[in-house]
Amino acid sequence: MPILTLKFKDSNIGEYDIKEGQSLTIGRLDKNDIVIENLAVSGRHAKIDGMDDGYLITDLKSKNGSFVNDLQISSHWLENNDVIKIGKHILIFAYKEGEKHFESAASGTMDQTMVMDTAAHKDLLAKSVPDLDTAMKKKESIGILSFLSGGEGEIELTKKLIKIGKDSSSDIVVGGMMVGKTAATISKRPQGYHLSYVEGMSKPKVNNEAVKESVLLKEFDIIEIGSVKMEFILK
Amino acid sequence: MVVIESSGITDVGRKRKGNEDALFLDNDQKLYVVSDGMGGHKAGEVASEIVVETLRDYIKRFKKGNDVEELVDSDETLSKKANRLLSGIHLANKGVWKVSNSNESYSGMGATVSTVYFDDKTFISANVGDSPIFLVHNENIELISVPHTVLAEHEALNPEGAKSLGKEYAHMLTQAMGIGETVKPDIFETPCFKGDILVISSDGLTDMVSPEEIGDVVISERPEKACRSLVDLANDRGGKDNITVIVIKIKKITKKKGGLLGLISRIFN
Repeated sequence: MPILTLKFKDSNIGEYDIKEGQSLTIGRLDKNDIVIENLAVSGRHAKIDGMDDGYLITDLKSKNGSFVNDLQISSHWLENNDVIKIGKHILIFAYKEGEKHFESAASGTMDQTMVMDTAAHKDLLAKSVPDLDTAMKKKESIGILSFLSGGEGEIELTKKLIKIGKDSSSDIVVGGMMVGKTAATISKRPQGYHLSYVEGMSKPKVNNEAVKESVLLKEFDIIEIGSVKMEFILK
Repeated sequence: MVVIESSGITDVGRKRKGNEDALFLDNDQKLYVVSDGMGGHKAGEVASEIVVETLRDYIKRFKKGNDVEELVDSDETLSKKANRLLSGIHLANKGVWKVSNSNESYSGMGATVSTVYFDDKTFISANVGDSPIFLVHNENIELISVPHTVLAEHEALNPEGAKSLGKEYAHMLTQAMGIGETVKPDIFETPCFKGDILVISSDGLTDMVSPEEIGDVVISERPEKACRSLVDLANDRGGKDNITVIVIKIKKITKKKGGLLGLISRIFN
């Protein structure tokens, strides 16, 4: 049974055992197993579950959050000597000598999933990504087709799947005898925009090469379908 | 219309005592879902089960013949079916969130969701969390889900800076079902081709088996055998987590032919 040592400003206030299969609640109200009387602590602040494969601390949507080794958590698998911070108090989680430790990050592989608090994530991003705003805008860039012939102006590729063809319900209507009802589609995927040939006797061309099935579009690629010629740009 | 051969299995693995993964295949509605649950005690199992059941029941409502009102609040960049899937995911998220708030023992529970839903000649893929969805096209395997992990999101914004992040961030999620009142799934619509193969799995598989190996197995074996082989491979290498995998193979894409010709071809198909 590991122990939780409650400390405040360097003095030990209490020690609590966590039994396997048990839950320990932590908070300001009397009914908690560990009562911390401090205004920075919520009535029901957090709990620690002793489970089959480890000890899990979960924040119970407290006002000021729960921290393990200075990292704000919503749920976290505890390791030997982890420092839990609740309000201004500290709880040190430690296995007794000779006791079996449940392996997790210590062994080098983090095989337990947890979710990072959004605010904490934003902080982390702000610290390690220089010029976060520009980077985020770049990530969300939208593709644009600029007409070179057969049409005028530009089309923003906002839809996830864009249909190009003779059919009047297509997003981009293209004329031509050999052009299919839906000649091609452009789909936005994590890797970028893909142009795919669907049907029709003539195949779409990208930089003068026929697209037999699917191709990832690069900026400034020239796309030809039937009567239309367009350039692919990223905004 | 897409003709599909599919199979899916889940395995507790070699180290865990319980299975917190859940999966669902509906060849009728052409909907496929994997969900990986997390949380104290039985909470993980409950979370993934809620996700799978909510999505399954919601999409079933749109079965041909049923009169269901279309959604008011839809995303214009997506097709009707994609909007449907998105609504289903939001509903499932609310479901898990409500239960997690109702009972202290469920507090903090959550789950990932990764799903594929077929439309006429396209498929819609959506995910929240880090359970991967792969597309094998022309013998190339590509990740088409977006991992919602701290490490992956850093890499997308700043590949250099991400290198200095600790390894624990590889599995730390930036969002999951049930953690908040709303979620922002990543959703894509892609045309399908004959011969394409889709793989949805929990990270219990991808932590032990590389994408290239997954590609090799699903290309050379039929879905049922491929699922078995992949689970065995993950277990042989340690089976540290629950392993779930769905393999979907596109056998044929039939065109809707109108008139007499269409009638004849439908009789003979």
